[in-house]
Amino acid sequence: MSNPVRIQPDLQFVKDLQEVGGDTLKRCYQCATCSVACPISPAENPYPRKEMIWAQWGLKDKLVNDIDIWLCHNCGTCSDLCPRGAKPGDLLAALRNMAYRKVAEPAVVGEWMSSAKYLPLLIAIPAVIWLIIWIIRAGFLGTYFPLFALGADGHSWEVVKEGGKVVFGGLFPGDFTIDPIFTATFLFMVYTFYKGVKRLIASFDVPKTFAIAGAPNPSILVALKETVLCEIASHSKWKQCGEETEGDQQKFTGHLTLMYSFVALMIVTGVIAGAHWGGNILRWLTGASLGILDFFGHTPLNLWNPIKLLAIVGAVLFVYGIAKLTTRRLNQNAKKHGSSWYDWYLVGLIWTVGLSGIFSMLLRLANVPLLAYPMYYVHLVSVWMLFAYLPWSKLGHLVYRTAALTYARHIGRIPMQTKEEKTFVL
Amino acid sequence: MPEKIGVYIDESCLGPVLQAGALAEFVKGRFGKEVSVVRSHPRLNTPDGQKLIQADIDAGDVDAVCICSTSPRYDSDIFTFTGNVLVDRVNFREFIAKGYKNPDGSVLKTGDALPEELKLMAEDYLKMGILKLTKMDHPAPEIPDGTKTILVLGGGWTGLNAALSAATAGFDVVLVEKDAQLGGKALNLYKSFPLSAPWTDTEDTGIEKLVQAVQANAKITVKLGKTLEKLDGAPGMYIATIGGEDVAVGSVVLATGWDPISTKYLEPLGYGKIKNVVTSAEFEKLAKQGLGAKRVAFIADVAVCVEAGLKEEAAKAEAELAAAEAAKDAPKEEGEEKVFVFKDLESCKHLCYSSELNSLAALKQAGYVADAGGMGLIFYDHMMVPGINERYYKAAQDKPGVMLTKGTISGIREEGGGLVLLAQDTLLGESIEVAVDMVVLPTGIVPTTAHGPVMNFTYRQGPAFPELELFNGFADSNYICFPYETRRTGVYAAGCVRQPMTMATARDDAQGAVLKAIQCISSLNRGMAVHPRSGDKSYPKFNFVRCTQCKRCTEECPFGALDDDPKGTPMPNPTRCRRCGTCMGACPERVISFDNYNVDMIGTMVKCIEVPPKIDQGGPRAIILACENDAYPALDMAAMRGTRWSPYVRIIPVRCLGSVNTIWIADAMSKGTDGVLLLGCKYGEDYQCHFVKGSELCNRRMVNVADSLKRLGVEPERVVQQQVAIDDYAEAPRIIDEFMDYILKLGPNPFKGY
Repeated sequence: MSNPVRIQPDLQFVKDLQEVGGDTLKRCYQCATCSVACPISPAENPYPRKEMIWAQWGLKDKLVNDIDIWLCHNCGTCSDLCPRGAKPGDLLAALRNMAYRKVAEPAVVGEWMSSAKYLPLLIAIPAVIWLIIWIIRAGFLGTYFPLFALGADGHSWEVVKEGGKVVFGGLFPGDFTIDPIFTATFLFMVYTFYKGVKRLIASFDVPKTFAIAGAPNPSILVALKETVLCEIASHSKWKQCGEETEGDQQKFTGHLTLMYSFVALMIVTGVIAGAHWGGNILRWLTGASLGILDFFGHTPLNLWNPIKLLAIVGAVLFVYGIAKLTTRRLNQNAKKHGSSWYDWYLVGLIWTVGLSGIFSMLLRLANVPLLAYPMYYVHLVSVWMLFAYLPWSKLGHLVYRTAALTYARHIGRIPMQTKEEKTFVL
Repeated sequence: MPEKIGVYIDESCLGPVLQAGALAEFVKGRFGKEVSVVRSHPRLNTPDGQKLIQADIDAGDVDAVCICSTSPRYDSDIFTFTGNVLVDRVNFREFIAKGYKNPDGSVLKTGDALPEELKLMAEDYLKMGILKLTKMDHPAPEIPDGTKTILVLGGGWTGLNAALSAATAGFDVVLVEKDAQLGGKALNLYKSFPLSAPWTDTEDTGIEKLVQAVQANAKITVKLGKTLEKLDGAPGMYIATIGGEDVAVGSVVLATGWDPISTKYLEPLGYGKIKNVVTSAEFEKLAKQGLGAKRVAFIADVAVCVEAGLKEEAAKAEAELAAAEAAKDAPKEEGEEKVFVFKDLESCKHLCYSSELNSLAALKQAGYVADAGGMGLIFYDHMMVPGINERYYKAAQDKPGVMLTKGTISGIREEGGGLVLLAQDTLLGESIEVAVDMVVLPTGIVPTTAHGPVMNFTYRQGPAFPELELFNGFADSNYICFPYETRRTGVYAAGCVRQPMTMATARDDAQGAVLKAIQCISSLNRGMAVHPRSGDKSYPKFNFVRCTQCKRCTEECPFGALDDDPKGTPMPNPTRCRRCGTCMGACPERVISFDNYNVDMIGTMVKCIEVPPKIDQGGPRAIILACENDAYPALDMAAMRGTRWSPYVRIIPVRCLGSVNTIWIADAMSKGTDGVLLLGCKYGEDYQCHFVKGSELCNRRMVNVADSLKRLGVEPERVVQQQVAIDDYAEAPRIIDEFMDYILKLGPNPFKGY
C-alpha cells in the first residue's frame, strides 16, 4: 500500500475559485460524464473530473500544479452534458484565470485584473500617461487639436492655421512618445512573460515518465513547432472538440479570424516600425533617405499602400472576429456556461481597440480634429492596456497555453500529431 | 344453489371459426336441467349486452349467469347486475379466441374448419363455468358489532402524525407511549432533513407543535408511560390491555419506531477508544448546543463495522448450531409444550439498512459545520439519496464548506490534540489522510420489533409477528404495493419500525397506515375481506363434525386467523381472515369450504374435463391451477399480446396455490389427465405470494402428494409447480408449452381410458 498523502482542504481557495468563474463547482457529483465526453482529454488520468473534486476540496497544491487546465480548449461539451450543471468547462477556465492572476509578477496587477472594481485604476494609468503627453505637446504646439502640413524637409509636421489636416503623429510623435513608451511596455511584457512561463513550467507537477511507447520524448523545439504549426495555425483541436452547433462555428471562425487579424496588424506594425526606424537610422548615418523606407515608414500611409490595405483588412477582420465571439457569448445558455470578468474584460478591450482604431482613421480622413484626437487618445489608452496587462489577462493564454501545450508534448502528456490518436476497432 | 342458470355467449370473443349456435346447442343438450336460458350477443361487454342479461334477471328467468366473454379481470363494471344473482365468467376471449393455437402451432383463419381440439376446449371451459355455478352459493357473512377506535402504538413523530390523521378522519384514537412524554426521538433533533417543498433546506422538526396538537385533540386519548401488554381478539373486536386496563379497539397502527444500534458495532471505527469520535446522535446534541469543532469528518461508510459484525455473527451462529446438535442427542420429554422464546434480531446489518439515513444525516450535519464557518468532510461508500432528497443532496453539497468523497476508512488516530483520518480508494487519491477536530460515526436503525414482541398478541401462533428474521426484525410487508400490511390483519406498521425512513416519509407513512386501519374497520363492519381480496364476502366455513383436530389449518394460516380450543378444534376469527383458502388447501379431511369456492367445486371442474382415451387420438390433457393474483393475469396479458399456448391445457383459477387441496390432483390423475401444472408466485426469502406463504405451502404439500401418487402407480413427475410473476407474461406461455413437451416425453397417464 502506498504511503498516505496528507491533504489540506482549503475553504478559502474554494471560495476564490468560485469568484473567478467556478461558482458552480460544488455541484459536481463525480459521475465522470465530462471526462468521457471530452474529445481531447487523454485516456490516462483524464480531465476535468479530477479537477472538479480537487476544486471542491480546495486542494490548491494539486490545482496550481496542474498542466491539464491548459490542454482544455473550452469547447463546452462537458458543461453541456453535465447532469448537475456543474460546468466543468467553466471551472477549467476559472483555474486558468487563477493562473493569470498568480503566475506573473508583480502579483498586484493580477489582483487588479481579477475584479471589475479595479477597472478604473487600470484605465487611469495609461489615461494619465497619454494625457500628460497630450498636455505637454499642446503646450508646444499651442493647441490641443492641431492641424498640420508637411514641413519643408518633407518629414516633420508643422502646425498651420488654415488648410491643414489631422495628423496623429504630429500630436503624438512616434519617435519620442509612442515608440519609446510602447517599446518599453513591450519589453516589460516580454520579460514578464519570460518569468511567468518559467514559473508556470516549473510548477507543472507531471511525472516525467509519460513517454510514449519507447520513442524518445520530442525536444522542446520540435514540440513548439508541432504546437504552432499543427495546432495553433489551424485550430485543429477545436475541430476535434466539435463544430456541430452555431456557437461552435462562431467560436471557431471568430477566434481564427481574430488571431489572423492580430497577425496581420502585427505585420503592419512591424513593417512600419522597421521602415520608419530604418529610415531614421539611415538618415542619421548618411543623411540620405531611401524611397522605399519612406514609403512604408512615413505615416500616415497612403490608402492604396499595400501595408495600409493590410491594416484596413486586418481591422475589418478584427472587428468581424470579435463580433462573432461576442455573439456566441451572448447567446450562450446561462444554465450550461458562464462568462467571467476575465472574458468580458478582454471582449470589451478588443472592441475598444478595434473600433477606436477604425474611427480614428475615419475621423482623421474626415479631418475633424475635435473628435479625431480624443478617439486616437482612446485608441492609445486601450492598446497600451492590451499590451501592458497582457501577462495577467485572458489574452495571456496565447503565451501560457502555447508554452503549456509545447511542454505537454515534450513530456508526452499529449501525443505528437504523428502519433496514432485514440482508435476504436470493431 | 342456483337452479336457473343463464348462459350468455359473446360472439366477439369466439375467434374466427367457433359458432355461438353450436355452443348453445351443446349447452342445451348437456345441461338441459340446470340451464334455463342460452343467449348469444354480437358484443356482450356493452351496455346493450348488460341490458340483455339484466332483463332475464328481472323477469325471474335466471338466478345465476355464466358469461362467456372477456377475462373476468375486465369489464366487471359492465357485468354488474341488480337482484340476487350469482355471476361467473368464462374467459373466452383470452383463453380461447386469443390463446388457442393448433397442435402444429399454426393459427386459425376465417374459413378454416373447426378443429376438434378447439371444440373440446370451448366445451370444457363452458362445462367448467356452468358446473362452478352449480356448486356456488351466496355468501352470508356475519357482521360483527365492531368498535371503531384506532389504537396507535408509539407517541413519536410517526405515531403523533398517525393519531392526528385518524382523529381528523373522525375516529377515536388511543395513543400509547412508553416514555413519560410525547415526541420520541424527534425531541433530540436540532434540525430535520427537508419536510416540504422545495426539499432543499433543513427544517425545524416542529415536534413541539405536533405534540400540542395531539394533546389538544379531544378525540385522542393519550396514555403515557405505558405499553401494550396484551392484544386479544380480532380486528373490530380487539381488547387491548394497556397498563392493566382493557380498552376495546378496532384496528392498530404500529409506530413504535426504533432504537439506535448498540455502539459496540462502532468500535472498529474507534468509538469509545478515541476521544472526539462521536455518533451522529451525540453530534446532533452538540449541534443543538452550538458547535466548537472547525473541521469535522462524517463517515457514511460502515464497511469495517459490518465486516467485524458479520464475523462475530457467523461465529455465534456456529456456536448455536453446535449447541443445537448437542441438545438433539439429549432425551426429550414427551408432550413438552413449546414455550415462546423471542430471539433478539439486532445485527450489524442494521447499519447497512440505514445507509440512506446516514447519507442524509452526514449531509445535514456537515451543513451545520459549514454554516458555522467550518468544514464538514464526508466520506461515503454510497451516497444514497433516492427520490426527492436528491434535491437536498444538491443543495447541501453546494455549500463551499461541505466536501465529499467516496472512500473506505482505514484508520483514525490521535495526533497533537486532534485526529487524523486515513482513507483508501478515495476520489482524491489512492491513500490519503486528513487532520480533523472530530469524527462523526453513522448509526443503525434497529426496529423495536427486533428487540421484543411489542404487540403481545394472544394468538395461537405467538405474541410477535411471525418470521421477522426475514427482515432482520423490521415489521415490513415485503411488498412495494402494500407497504403497511403485516402478517396480522388489522395491524398496520408505519415509520421506522417497518423500514428506516426520513421524517417526511414517516409522516406520509403514518397517513397511509391510518387509511389501512380505517379501511379494515370499515370493511369488516360490512362483512368484507380486507386486502388483497378486498370486498370478498365469503369466509371459511368449518364442518366440525368431520374435523380430526390435526391442527394443520391453525398452524398453516399465514395470518394467524385460527386459534384452537384445548382439544385442538379450530376456532375461526373471521375478521382476522383474508380468505386465501390456505386452510382449505391444508385440510386433509376437506371440512373447510367457502360458499363460492370449495373443494367440491374445483374437484367437479377437474373431473368434467374431457380426456381423450388415447394420447395419440385427441392429444394429451393437462390441468393448470393458476394463481388468480399473478399467473392468471400474466396469461391474460400474454394472450392480449398475441402469444398462444398449447390447446391441450385447461386453466382453472385458484385464490392462491395455498388453497390447492391435494385431492384435486388425485382426481385429475385418476381421470387420466396427463399432467398438472401449478402456476403460482415466487416463494422463499423474496416471496411475492399475496398471501405470503401460499405458494411455499403448496410446494411442500406436493412432496406429500408424490407419495400418494406413487402408491396409485402414477409418476409424481406429472405434477409440476412453476413460479410466475405478473410481469412474466412473455414467459408464461413458454412455460406451458415446455410443460406439455415434457408431458409428451413422459407419455400417457397409465390411468387413461379407465
